[in-house]
Amino acid sequence: MVVSAFHKKLFRTMFQSWGQSLGVVMVVLCGIAAYICFHSAYLNLSLTRDTYYAQNRLADFEIMVERAPETAVFKLERLPGVRQVRKRIVEDVNVDIEGVNEPRVGRLISMPARRSPVINDIVILSGRYFEAGEQRVAVVSNQFAESNGLALGDRFQISVDSKKYSLRVVGLAASPEYVYMIRNVQALIPSPERFGILWVPEEFAETALDMKSACNNIVGLVDNPEDLDKILDEADKVLDPYGVFAKTKREDQLSNRFISDEIKGLGVSAKIIPTLFLGIAALILLILLNRMVRTERTQIGLMKAFGYSNWAVGFHYIEYGLILCVIGCVGGFALGQWMAGGMMKLYVQFYQFPILESRIYLDVLARSMGITLVFATLGALSAAIQAARIQPAESMRAEAPSRVNRVWLEYIPVLWKRVSFTWKMILRNISRNRFRSAVNCFGVAISLSLLLMGFFMTDSIDFGMKFQFRDAQREDVKVSFQREQGRDVLYEASRFPHVRRAEGLLEYPFEIRSVWRKKDIVVIGIEKGSEMRKVMNFARETFSLGDGGLVLAESLAEELQVGPGDTVTLEPLMGRIEGEFEVPVRAVAQQFLGTAAYMDHAALSRMLDESYVINSALLRLESGSRDAINKTLKEIGGIAAVTFNDDAYQSIQDTLGKSMVITNTVLLIFAGVIAFSIIYNITAVSLSERQRELASLRVLGLSTQEVGGIVYFENMLMGALGLLFGVPMGMGICALLVEAYSNDMFRLPFYIDRSTYVISILLTYSFVLLANLAVRRKIQNLDLVEVLKERE
Amino acid sequence: MLPRCTAQRVRKLGILPAATPTIFDLRDVCKEYQMGEVVVPALRGATLTIQRGELLVILGPSGSGKSTLLNIIGGLDAPTRGEVLFRGEDLAQYSEAQRTQYRRKHIGFVFQFYNLMPNLTAEENVELATEISDDPMNPAEALDMVQLDDRRTHFPSQLSGGEQQRVAIARAVAKRPEILLCDEPTGALDIATGKVVLDALNEINRRIGTTLILITHNASIAGLADRVIQMRDGHVHSITANTDRKSVEDLVW
Repeated sequence: MVVSAFHKKLFRTMFQSWGQSLGVVMVVLCGIAAYICFHSAYLNLSLTRDTYYAQNRLADFEIMVERAPETAVFKLERLPGVRQVRKRIVEDVNVDIEGVNEPRVGRLISMPARRSPVINDIVILSGRYFEAGEQRVAVVSNQFAESNGLALGDRFQISVDSKKYSLRVVGLAASPEYVYMIRNVQALIPSPERFGILWVPEEFAETALDMKSACNNIVGLVDNPEDLDKILDEADKVLDPYGVFAKTKREDQLSNRFISDEIKGLGVSAKIIPTLFLGIAALILLILLNRMVRTERTQIGLMKAFGYSNWAVGFHYIEYGLILCVIGCVGGFALGQWMAGGMMKLYVQFYQFPILESRIYLDVLARSMGITLVFATLGALSAAIQAARIQPAESMRAEAPSRVNRVWLEYIPVLWKRVSFTWKMILRNISRNRFRSAVNCFGVAISLSLLLMGFFMTDSIDFGMKFQFRDAQREDVKVSFQREQGRDVLYEASRFPHVRRAEGLLEYPFEIRSVWRKKDIVVIGIEKGSEMRKVMNFARETFSLGDGGLVLAESLAEELQVGPGDTVTLEPLMGRIEGEFEVPVRAVAQQFLGTAAYMDHAALSRMLDESYVINSALLRLESGSRDAINKTLKEIGGIAAVTFNDDAYQSIQDTLGKSMVITNTVLLIFAGVIAFSIIYNITAVSLSERQRELASLRVLGLSTQEVGGIVYFENMLMGALGLLFGVPMGMGICALLVEAYSNDMFRLPFYIDRSTYVISILLTYSFVLLANLAVRRKIQNLDLVEVLKERE
Repeated sequence: MLPRCTAQRVRKLGILPAATPTIFDLRDVCKEYQMGEVVVPALRGATLTIQRGELLVILGPSGSGKSTLLNIIGGLDAPTRGEVLFRGEDLAQYSEAQRTQYRRKHIGFVFQFYNLMPNLTAEENVELATEISDDPMNPAEALDMVQLDDRRTHFPSQLSGGEQQRVAIARAVAKRPEILLCDEPTGALDIATGKVVLDALNEINRRIGTTLILITHNASIAGLADRVIQMRDGHVHSITANTDRKSVEDLVW
């Protein structure tokens, strides 16, 4: 291929100003890498999720009841719009595994004796399904088995009520229902060793849980998911006598909720981050190429004099932008693929998909190339138009001198007189190049915002965790019972060795209503004067529960649109009592996890027609007695789950900590690339423009440091201004994140630690200093003699 | 001419009086430029002395080495070989930082293209020099000297070429340099404006006694000089003393 002289000029200019070219390439590269990474992950996850759900028939709805007979299930199946239903027995049980000190929580789920393509089917990963007539066997969720050292053929014990059963592992499996394997919202992050699923033969579940020809969980498919609300209302009527306590649509199903939120987040990131980067690349190109057209004015005129068309000359500059951006795009594609692979590995930790692969999507490449080209052209357009407009004859003459810009400070002579000439030059230069200075500021502000945003997530979650597991929940361990218990059990628990204090807790499901707004929630009854549970908001204000009335989580109050002083209706969801209660709202409190309502324990017990009833015991232990208490609890029947406060805290810290480090590193790189590229490019452009000025100063006897100071101080001033704007901007973005990430499962506290501000500001400012360091060479190598000889 | 080693010894022994009328003593100064792969000699052994307070005009065609010579005297450039003794000290041995200090203290430059700061006013351009100087003139006084006191608050883009050059001169002089170096100061100006500029320079030389070295390829300007140096091919071709310095009005070109 013959490279035209025109192109040779293009490439040589590119190499001569390689630092600036690299800046553009890097920004595009980051943007496209982010796009590829997020968008591939988005596609990978959505595709995997949808296929997985379809292949294993994830239920459209799930209804939990106390105990429904088979006949009710048949009635349900005949409801219009319902395609198929399946009755199940689901129960959380205490699992005792040999060699594992602590009791684990297993969710028992009944499966038909014969393998058939049922709703919420499982995928056998190794081993086999049950065989005809088998009773005491289980298919165990893969990660639970692995992390607890359970192999095929091994046995473990479960306790149901006060009876113990020994089950043999025949298979390991995964299920679309538990891709995100958490027991409840409170867990937030899966800890695969502490919670797992045990699929057991229906017959065994019926016997063990005393549910012959009955069920407590119904899952179903519908013809049209849009009719779900109506269908669930109908189903509620059918099942009402059997104590419906939760109806869940697929979109609210816990595991699906987490995955789908994550996927949605990826989709949003895939749009916002690349747009930001490519926009910045376009800005840099705009500044770079506009300057280039001005420098090459005479050359442009000359080309036109030779007979190159306006279009050819204009396109020359667009091509400059295109080439740099395409290089960045290709590099970004490679990096993005690599990052997408890494991201998938990260996701494997959180999501139990039987297959999770990172594919290369060629259409994504094509699309990113297209977006890049659009932004590159946008950035280069104004330069190209200017180049096209240059008249050959005019271009040979010197350019008209630039407009004089006085700085407003000049109109206050007393002050202006005190300004040193260095600062006069800086201030005038800023006012001469307002757009450029604004971009400079903006770059710093964006960079700071990105850092703040990343660190904010860590701060916020950390704050939330401490709020939840240190201040609001102060017990060492929570023991949840399979059945309700009376005061005697609490007394017994308080007499366990190593237990310093025991308190009861009652969590009961209700439908809460205000006018036509309603929601299924859990009301938590806390004992008067409780030392282990405090109802408080993020500001650590404690709310008294009095002798009745509710304190509502903020998200719940918002959903119901009620506030303190209003009255809400509570209707018990389990069938033990009938009727409705009008309850006043005492207060509204921000909560990190869950959508709960809090009430005085005695009042809640009374509401259930009992003098004292609990379903959990909160224990405070002597330090270092964890193993001992585990041993004790293993021996006791009727326990559904044992949850150590520290475990939840620790596992969230560990898991999130790891992914936060990765996220923050990526954001740090992004922030650095943005700040550095913008400042370096603008400074380099400004230097090339002011060569003569700076050389004159050197001739006058200013040292390189003094001359450099003019450039550095300008950057530092703009950097400082950028920081000034960046702080509120970053806080604004964090506030948006709070909104975006908050839902009825958890709410991010708006909390940014003081050290985060300091660290982010220092890091951002170090990018400014780094860019200064990079242009230092250009100032030192300024050729005084050559520059001054040139015509102005 | 003394051999090099002798000259150094003599200076070290302090035999030469400190205040000789000779301010510069250039000995066999060579300058080569590395232009890519070829070495281009710009000065091939120039030797001359410059006296305190004189007005020296250097004439020569382009490429004769006159600008290079001026840049070396002004501390913008270091010679490849040879000695440049300024009051007995060898500039050739100076580091970059020392040369900067030297320019700051002793040298004023005026170029063909005025090289003013576009975003500073006339007065501020002069202040630029006075702020880094130990014993500067008042900026207003310096501008008055070039008859621009009524243009103090104007920016370069609001001034004519001749006016800009006079600001440049005021800026150069305001530091009270010992030597004023002018590289084609009238090269970009028409005759009438050129004369105003030359007049200003001449006045400075006469009134303050600043040593003035002026490069030009315009031979008629030579009439102003105390001595005229002809450069050719990087050598000093001839040195002529002017017995009768002309006034600016009498110049014709």
